Formats: sequence, structure tokens, C-alpha cells
Amino acid sequence: MKRTIFVLLLIGLIGQGVFAQGISMYGYGRTYWGGFMQHNGEYSILQNTLDLRFDHRGMKTSLFANPVVYHYPDQDLDILLRQAYLDLHFDSMDIRVGKQQIIWGKADGVFITDILSPKDLREFLLPDFEEIRLGINALKMSFYRGNSTYEFVWMPVFQEGIMPSDTSRWAPRKPDFLAGAEYDYSNADVEKKLENSQFAFRYSLLASAADIELVAAYVWDELPTNHVYRTVDPEPNQVTGLTVRPEHHRLGVFGGSFSTTKGGFVIRGEGAYYTGKHFNTTEPAHIGGTVRRDYLHYLAGVEYILWGATVGTQLIQETILNYDDYIIQDQFRNTATFLVSKDYRRETIKLELFTYYGFDDNDALIRPSITYDFADGFEILAGANIFLGDGTGYFGQFDKNDMIYAKVKFNF
Amino acid sequence: MKTTKLFFTALLSLFFIIPAIAQYDMTALEVVEAAYNRPTGEDMTADLEMILINRQGDRRVREIKQYGKDFGDIEKTIMFFLTPADVRNTSFMNWSYIDGRDDDQWIYLPALRRVRRISGDSKSDYFMGSDFTYDDLGDRHPHEDEHTILRMEEIDGVESYVIESIPKEKDYMYSRTVTWVAKGKWIALKREFYDDRGEYLKTLRVKEYDNIQGYWTVLHSEMENDQRQHRTVMQFKNVEYDTGVSDNMFTERMMTRGL
Repeated sequence: MKRTIFVLLLIGLIGQGVFAQGISMYGYGRTYWGGFMQHNGEYSILQNTLDLRFDHRGMKTSLFANPVVYHYPDQDLDILLRQAYLDLHFDSMDIRVGKQQIIWGKADGVFITDILSPKDLREFLLPDFEEIRLGINALKMSFYRGNSTYEFVWMPVFQEGIMPSDTSRWAPRKPDFLAGAEYDYSNADVEKKLENSQFAFRYSLLASAADIELVAAYVWDELPTNHVYRTVDPEPNQVTGLTVRPEHHRLGVFGGSFSTTKGGFVIRGEGAYYTGKHFNTTEPAHIGGTVRRDYLHYLAGVEYILWGATVGTQLIQETILNYDDYIIQDQFRNTATFLVSKDYRRETIKLELFTYYGFDDNDALIRPSITYDFADGFEILAGANIFLGDGTGYFGQFDKNDMIYAKVKFNF
Repeated sequence: MKTTKLFFTALLSLFFIIPAIAQYDMTALEVVEAAYNRPTGEDMTADLEMILINRQGDRRVREIKQYGKDFGDIEKTIMFFLTPADVRNTSFMNWSYIDGRDDDQWIYLPALRRVRRISGDSKSDYFMGSDFTYDDLGDRHPHEDEHTILRMEEIDGVESYVIESIPKEKDYMYSRTVTWVAKGKWIALKREFYDDRGEYLKTLRVKEYDNIQGYWTVLHSEMENDQRQHRTVMQFKNVEYDTGVSDNMFTERMMTRGL
């Protein structure tokens, strides 16, 4: 509690002190209430948020800091610094150093080349994407030539993605064979040292014919591979115990994306080739119960304005190369997204329907919402998250977690 | 018999048409082209305040900083949204081509932190909830419509050509517009818009204009939508021409960096 008060006072003092130096403060306050439609009407979330942004922009230098305070009933305040970085501006170059969100790619709601900022998946894919993406400590150098941008990123410290706790309603379903396994986290951390740095490069072009991005990265897989070790009693040759050792592995990533327009259609594509990704197997002979395989992830999408509504779809495929039947994950995973969005009453009312559909498990996440701009900067949002499926698919596993929610947000 | 009919038709044409042409010193197309080609400088910067007023008199204010530059075959514009708070740091860039192909448009939304290409084909969409469509804000090419001079008329003491323009495109959002073009200044001082069913829709009135650095510039205009009982006030401040806006202003870097 003392810590909380201290941080809030600090924010206040900084706010008082920095205005004299031309730092502006803005942000939003938000109340977010949601309830499950099953689980006896249990609340899915009761959250109050204060998101502050301190922003100074100069000709040669800039500063940005984004502390966020989350309040939940019966819990200590959850305080985080989503971003805090400094910019140095030169004629044809910018240098950004500090904690920052780095977002690449053209896809909506899908992470293909957008792999640098780790994700907070404690509430699955339901929060705003700005809140799902975590800031990462990085040095980013951007060079500009005409309409082209060349970015080099060095991330000295690895930060893993955040998964829900085992007791959370958003905890992903564990494979049956891991039931009763013991977890050993001794290999779970990536040591903070120079040789564990991550590197990435992006080339981006904004042109009349098309926008193009090319990326290459040498990173850590943000989610650990669960290596499974069996304890075998040699006499009856029977498995007597399972130990799971989560461990992060290196990934090489090469990919790109494009976006163009044709006859009123916006056409997007994005793809990435991942080298050396680890997959769990059913084959006991594999050490740790995993194999390394290269992996492809790509999509094609189109967006169109139809009767004043934005209508869009994306088709996504994930493919494990050199596949063997003992790999637990299916060789292909096929997903689609659908978007319909329309504004009414001079953009004060917005109706939106965003849907993920999994072809392989015939499951889906359907997200209808309505937003009303009650006044400038003040919006009221109501919506639902409907999961369909039989409990085994990526979305269907949360079939019992259908929820309705409301958010009231004031931007200042 | 056929020859006699042709002779009388030609005679009637001379009787009625020649005086009609002689009544005006310019053709309708020449007037519209003069307005279209009105000098606007190599580049322009301005602060724009847009006030949306509904039938109850409630007001919503949007503030925008905009830069424009003529690159010869491309005219580039970039807008930075300053208020209200929920659109702060949003930017919008438009590249308009002299050869008439669809504009290229991009938007940067700070919550998404990336520049998105959007369809430049949505010219009939209203700009930021205002009474102006994207097409109303741009320069419509004179050859996209058939123009006729209806009459000469004084508006606010300025002699103006009253021009009716009917689009050649069948499915265009307006069936016709009537524009009062100030003689010599080539500013559209007033324009009436009729919807695709031929019904009166809205009127644009220029309330204030000035000659800035040798360029006639609209500083205050109001669009009043009769069907929706809504109006939008547009006020330009700090208008400057030929300040040497850098080519680099119209890039992904500036969209994401903002002002």
C-alpha cells in the first residue's frame, strides 16, 4: 500500500514538475465490468484503469512515458510502465532507447511478423491490443531515405510473454498426457547477458503501388517449450512419473508483408518463416519429448467499403514443415477472421463485429460491440465475447467463458 | 424537304444559341477550370478548426494541423489531429494524382501504432463526422462534370458566375451542384448540393476569405445540411504559403512521429 501511494505521489509530482519543461500529459480513465454468461453469472472482470502519458517533443529529442495503474476489487493496485523511452532525432535518422512497443506487419488481430513485443495473454486475446503487447527494452535505430525506412533493433534483455495462471478461467487446456506432471522451472529463465540479446531488422516502403515490409529477426521464442522427461521403472519398464521443464529457445524469423489497393479493395498479405521452432511429440525416444522443425505462418486478407460499412476478411494458415505423425500439434492450422464495422450518427455510434473462426476444430470467437461517443473524448462501449466449439480447439476451449461486458472511458 | 428542315433548324440555333454564348465572357468550363487552377502555392500550412453543430445546438470541436505540397504530378497532404483527446496523435495522409487515378490514403492510429493503408475509393464518406465528404474537401476535376452557366449574380457584393454541374458518372453521390464562382478571384463562394435522387441536400457558404501572400484563400466556411439538420463550421488559421515544407513531411516517419 505504501508503495502504491508512493508511486501515485511520484506520478503527481512528476506531472507538476514537468509541465514547466514543455511536457504534456494526457491519457484516459476507464471502468471495465464484465460477467460470464455461465459460471453462475460470476464476474469475469471488474477493472478500473488510469493510463497516463507524459510526452515531450522537441526538434532534436523527445521523451515518452506511459505508466498505467489497474485497480481490481480486493487486490493491490497493479502498476506498470508500459513504455518509457527517449528519442534522438537527426536529419535522416532517429534513435529510440528504452522500454517500447515495437509493432510490425499488416495483419489485424494476428501475430506473424509482429513478434518483438511479447504478449500478455492473461485474458486471452480479449483486451485491446495496445494492452496485450508488452513494452520491451530496446535500442531502435531508424534510417530514412525517401519513402523507405530501415530499422535495426537490439533488445539486450529477453522478456517472456505472460500466460494465465493455472487457476485462471483463461488458462489454456493442457494436453492429457501432462496430467499429474511435475514442473521444474530451473531452465525457464533466459539469463540476462549480452550473448542472449535479440536482434531484428525491418525494411519498410510506403509507395503509391504498395506498402511493403521485409523483416528478419534472431529472437527467443516468447513462450517456453515444455520439455517432458519420463521417469521409468526399469523392472516392469513402466513410466512412473513425468517432469516438465519449460525452456525458451532461439528462433530465426524471415518474413514480410504488403498492402495495396485495387478498385476500392485494400489487399493485405503477410508471411513469416520460422527456423528451429520446438514442438512436443508423443515419441518417448526424443529427448525432452520435443523435435525442432521449421514453420510457416502466413495470411491473405481483403477489406472493402460496402454500403458505408467496412467489411474485411483474412485467411490464415500455419504449417509445420518436414512433419512427422508423432508431433502433437497438427501439421496445418487454418483460421479466418471476419470484420464488419459501421459508423452511425456522424461517427458517434459504431457497431462492430469481429470474428475468429478455426476451420480445423470448427470453433470460433465472435465479438460484437457497440460504441457510443457520449461527448468528445467520453465513450461508452458494450459488447460480448462468444466462444463456440467443443472444448478442444484454440477458441472452443473457452466455450464456457462466454461473457458480456461494458466499458466507460474518458480520454483527457 | 429534308434540306429545308435542316436549314430552319440551323437558323433557329443561330437565333437562340449565339446570343446565349455572347451573354457571358467565358464558357462554363473555362470558369470551372479557372477555379480549379486557382494558384495555391508550392506548399501550404494551416491550422484547421472544425466545429460540428447538431440540431440541438450541441457543438463538437476538432482541431487539425495540416500541410500540403504540390509535387507536380502528385499533390500530397498530411493532417495531424490535435483534439479531441481520443484522436490525439492520429494522422492522415493523402496523395492525390493529377492523372485522375484514385487517391492513396493512409491513417496512423496511435493505439495500433502502425500506419495502415485505407481505401481511397470512399470519397462519399463524411470526413470525421462533419457535413463535408472527402470529395467535398478535394478538388474535383472539371472534366468529371458537364457545366452550364445559369446566370450572373452578385453574392455579398461580388459578381459571380452561377454554374450548374451535372456529373458524368451515373452513380455519383450528387445528382447536381450549383456553384457561385467569384469573378476574378475564382473562389466558390456558395455551393448547393442535390442528392442522388435530385433532392436538395446541403449548402456550402464561404463567410470569410482573404488574399494571403497573393493567393485567394477561404478562411471561414459553413456547410449546412438541410436533410440532417446539421452544420459544420470550418475555420483556417495561421495559413502560410511557400514556406518550403520539406518533402520528408509526407512520409511514414512523420505520420508515426507526429508534431
